[in-house]
Amino acid sequence: MNPLENLRMAFESLWANKLRSFLALLGIVIGVFSVTAMVSLGQMATAGITQDLEAIAGRSIFVQPNFNEGHDFSTAPIREEDLRSLEGLPAVVIPQLFGNLQYEARPGERRSIQLQGTPGDLPRLDPTFKIARGRYFTEAEARGGLAVAVLSDRAAKDLFPGREAVGQVVRLFYPGGGRLELTVVGVLAPPAGIFGGLGAAATVYAPIPLVWNTSPTARRGEYAFLVLSLKKEADAAQVKRQVERIFEARHGKGRYQITSTESFQDTLRSITRILQVLLGGIAGLSLLVGGIGIMNIMLVSVTERTREIGLRKALGATSSQIRQQFLIEAVVLTLLGGVLGVALAAGLLLLVTLAVPFFVYILSPITVLLALAVSALVGLFFGVWPAARAAALNPIEALRYE
Amino acid sequence: MVPVVEMQGVTKVYRSGSGARTVEVRALAGVDLTIQKGEFVALMGPSGSGKSTLMHIIGLLDTPTEGEYRLGGNSVRGLSEAQLARIRNRRIGFVFQAFFLLPRLTALQNVALPLVYRGLPPALRLERARRTLEAVGLGDRLDHLPAELSGGQKQRVAIARALVQEPDLLLADEPTGNLDSRSSEEILALFESLHQQGKTILMVTHEPDVAARAQRIVRLRDGRVVEGGRP
Repeated sequence: MNPLENLRMAFESLWANKLRSFLALLGIVIGVFSVTAMVSLGQMATAGITQDLEAIAGRSIFVQPNFNEGHDFSTAPIREEDLRSLEGLPAVVIPQLFGNLQYEARPGERRSIQLQGTPGDLPRLDPTFKIARGRYFTEAEARGGLAVAVLSDRAAKDLFPGREAVGQVVRLFYPGGGRLELTVVGVLAPPAGIFGGLGAAATVYAPIPLVWNTSPTARRGEYAFLVLSLKKEADAAQVKRQVERIFEARHGKGRYQITSTESFQDTLRSITRILQVLLGGIAGLSLLVGGIGIMNIMLVSVTERTREIGLRKALGATSSQIRQQFLIEAVVLTLLGGVLGVALAAGLLLLVTLAVPFFVYILSPITVLLALAVSALVGLFFGVWPAARAAALNPIEALRYE
Repeated sequence: MVPVVEMQGVTKVYRSGSGARTVEVRALAGVDLTIQKGEFVALMGPSGSGKSTLMHIIGLLDTPTEGEYRLGGNSVRGLSEAQLARIRNRRIGFVFQAFFLLPRLTALQNVALPLVYRGLPPALRLERARRTLEAVGLGDRLDHLPAELSGGQKQRVAIARALVQEPDLLLADEPTGNLDSRSSEEILALFESLHQQGKTILMVTHEPDVAARAQRIVRLRDGRVVEGGRP
């Protein structure tokens, strides 16, 4: 008796009890559906996170002085020589300055705002910067230290609520009292994606030499931090190690902190992975419950078909053939449930992708195969006992059974 | 000529309980029985005489506690469960009082069922089942479900299911027990015609007029053959 025959017999007997088979199946459908959906949603979230993070921070490496207790940040500044030592790496090096200033929101009420000194033409150097209106100040304007500024979307809204910021003059105050008046030449586009909020600070971008000239704390030739915007072919981890080595060689261990957006992404990914395992595990419990349902139904089926089993044995079926018959029936049942569960999960994922653009549709073939394999295994595992009971039936007793 | 069934001193003891409370029931107390090829034998006896036990042992559904049983000259002692199943499939055709047809299979599929366990390809099985059903006069009921057949027709399907195996021995357990007199007559006539074709038949019954249709009557009492053990 070949397996195909058994398979056909299994379908026939399941079909004969349509309602019961379907109800037994439901547990597996729900189990496979939840596991598949959870795992895939996790993958989709990870992909969404990666995409969004690249949109706001690109693939870049940050270099900044480490905060050492008892020392000022300025004890470990970044100088021109440091910039030159990084030449040759597959990245655009963007030195920047940083300061905390204030502006007058209403007469007598001052609020703080960030000032960031950058080279000119920043959007060309770092593709995560996008101009919404106006333009970025040019390299020449920057080098000349002209009193021009570009505002972040947030800053434009804070400084010029309800008005067009481009063309206006911003008046800022250093903590010491020094005044800075800048002409706004452009406004940046607001950052996109669910992590947009991270980059949504109110920031005024101004030429580096201007900050050197006007800030009471900044010293000419020293930068607050560096952004290395990685080129396409660059390996983030490798470049990060190289930068670490260069700064260690020049300044000693532990004075600079070097982070890459990829390590941040890795952290987020490991969080989503933990969530995925957790949720998948919980969903796995429903699969267990479904499996027990299958076992129950199979036991009922064995009891109900006691006479059939007795007859088959009398006609020459061996115990192992009977066992095989019931095992295959259980596996067919759970596998059907698995197929339905995966199909439902695929539908849900599609709906989620359509409803929330953050998610990218992912239903990997491995997930599908795994889901089907697991459902078959559930059938095998929970079918063993009922099948063994069927196989162990004494044909004489079974034929006498009413 | 080698007898189809040859039994010497076959006993069957059922034990239940354990230790000092063990209860022994001696269902068969030394049965000697010979059935030659082509015989039509009726097995009679009051209830409790061991008829069923003897039939189960002859049909290889049970094994003797002691004694020797040779089916077609071969001893069945020490055979494994799978070997017994295989011999049942090839040499024994069962006919039951309650027919035992699978309700969701057609007459044709029911008859083909034993051949499934012989590993024959479906087309061949169905062809042989069809020919056998035609031989018992049910050529026009191939695709009927058991529920759509009369009692006599059901039993004829069951007989066809036994015949399709081309067994050495047809083992019928009260084959007319669930039938009205007209259907009974139909079935007994079928057995007689099978007997004339040379089939070997052992029929268990408690009705004397049914037993009278057989060629020889074996009487069983208290686990022993008291009459008709040999041809």
